[in-house]
Amino acid sequence: MSTGGSGSADSVLSVRRLSVLAKGKRILDDVSLDFPPRSLTAVVGPSGCGKTTFVRTLNRMVELTPGLVVEGSVLYLGQDIYGPRVNPVLVRRRIGMVFQRPTVFPMSIFENAAFGLRIVREPEDEVDKAVTEALQRAGLWDEVKSDLDRSALSLSGGQQQRLCIARALAVRPRVLLLDEPTSALDPAATQRVEATMERLSEEIVLVLVTHNVGQAARVSDRVAFLHTGHLVELGPTDEILERPKDPLTQQFITGRFQ
Amino acid sequence: MATALSSTLRSEDNVLFDRSFRTRWRIGFDRWIGRLLPLLFLVAILPILDMVYWVSVKALPTLTWTILVGQSPYASDELGVPIIGTFEIMLIATLLSVVLGLFGGVATAELLSSRAAGWMRMSANMLVGTPSVIVGFFGYFTFVLYFGWGLSLLAGAVTLSIFMTPYIFRTADLAFTSVPRTIREAALGSGASPTQYILRIATPIALPQILTGIFLAMAIGVGETAPIVLTTTAGKVAPDSLSSPVTFMTTLIWTGFNQGSNSPYFVLAFQAAFLLMVVVVALNVVVRVVAARYQKRLEGLYQ
Repeated sequence: MSTGGSGSADSVLSVRRLSVLAKGKRILDDVSLDFPPRSLTAVVGPSGCGKTTFVRTLNRMVELTPGLVVEGSVLYLGQDIYGPRVNPVLVRRRIGMVFQRPTVFPMSIFENAAFGLRIVREPEDEVDKAVTEALQRAGLWDEVKSDLDRSALSLSGGQQQRLCIARALAVRPRVLLLDEPTSALDPAATQRVEATMERLSEEIVLVLVTHNVGQAARVSDRVAFLHTGHLVELGPTDEILERPKDPLTQQFITGRFQ
Repeated sequence: MATALSSTLRSEDNVLFDRSFRTRWRIGFDRWIGRLLPLLFLVAILPILDMVYWVSVKALPTLTWTILVGQSPYASDELGVPIIGTFEIMLIATLLSVVLGLFGGVATAELLSSRAAGWMRMSANMLVGTPSVIVGFFGYFTFVLYFGWGLSLLAGAVTLSIFMTPYIFRTADLAFTSVPRTIREAALGSGASPTQYILRIATPIALPQILTGIFLAMAIGVGETAPIVLTTTAGKVAPDSLSSPVTFMTTLIWTGFNQGSNSPYFVLAFQAAFLLMVVVVALNVVVRVVAARYQKRLEGLYQ
């Protein structure tokens, strides 16, 4: 909690001087930014720029990779999630995550969506309500409401990914991290996931990692451009994509390097 | 344009046929190995078929229901007593090794540091490679003599469980480590504690492999002789306590066979061997059925 307290008052998540080191090499170097409520920030950058590592530091998932050292702080409503008495399990219940590939569990659709509630022993009627709401918010309800007991593995890739979003939403997090959620999906499924993201960005904080500038343009209201672990530029989406100040950003969005 | 194309086609670089000795030899070698493999398979399976045949021929004509359960021509040495003894030893040994092997496997796959896990795996591999007679000696000196349990049901079962545990440990370890990383991350990312992940997500996924390991360990254990012969003494009646003498199937085979072909115990040994074969085959069938049934549920998980 040493460097805490400096986050802006109205931001849900504030990143302060964040660095990640792997064997002395800096994967992330001194990144600072704020995530205001009801926003969708797209984190873009070329492969290997540290964007996945960055998003994984925001709910301490980074600690599951051995050998990475995190410096600096991430403030969730003013509390450093790397603070000495913070339980990472609780951090991950408040700050949800969706991954590159759909990661449904081998159980029913209902139980998948209910997973986060089951592990905190939510009462049964609460679970029912929250699952319905989460599936609706994820835009999957109409497709699955008649067979919630079917195995989630029988769903298509795009449906599975929206189920993963529903699973993350069911515990009502204030922040949802999405790590290239459409990279394994076809265009139609991508479109539905993007629609879901746009709708959610009016309710909670979304952080979307993507290598797809078009996707950032379609759904985000802010873009953060990362390059070799540095935060090069951050601003409103149209400003960054149309009038980037930094030549590196310019090169990236015009597709001159990937 | 046309001339350019045909001239490239004529050039050496684009020829697909290769008539070099090296290539022809390799293709011929592949073809012959392909023909040889079924033959080698036959060579491997013939002794097994031969064994099944001879054991059946010796055992079946005289194997009756009364020998299995009640009084037999050989008085109190009917198979009923070794069947009960085998069942009791296997029950205790399996329970012990399932508990030890599962906890060890889960800890190694999920909880221990990679260094500690490495030591666990190495120990298990060494234990699997240890000749069973040495495990038997260990059991004799430790349980029978040092702990003072005597040649008994308990000493035999515990010694056998030492022999069986590493098999269950290895499959449990493998089963948990082979749960997709993405699933593990998704569970932990949904706010599950490591324990909740293990119990609610990983165990159901790992279960078919774990059950396979348990049944295979049982199939291996039920056929072991040395650990039991060295730590038990044959009983004429079914054991009534943990310190009782007990007759294991393989003990009966071992002693019966050693009496020579004129002894009535000789045929009894073959009957016991036949039963043992049936049990081992049954265990293997159960493994297949269980694994197939559970695997169906997990279809689509590993993409």
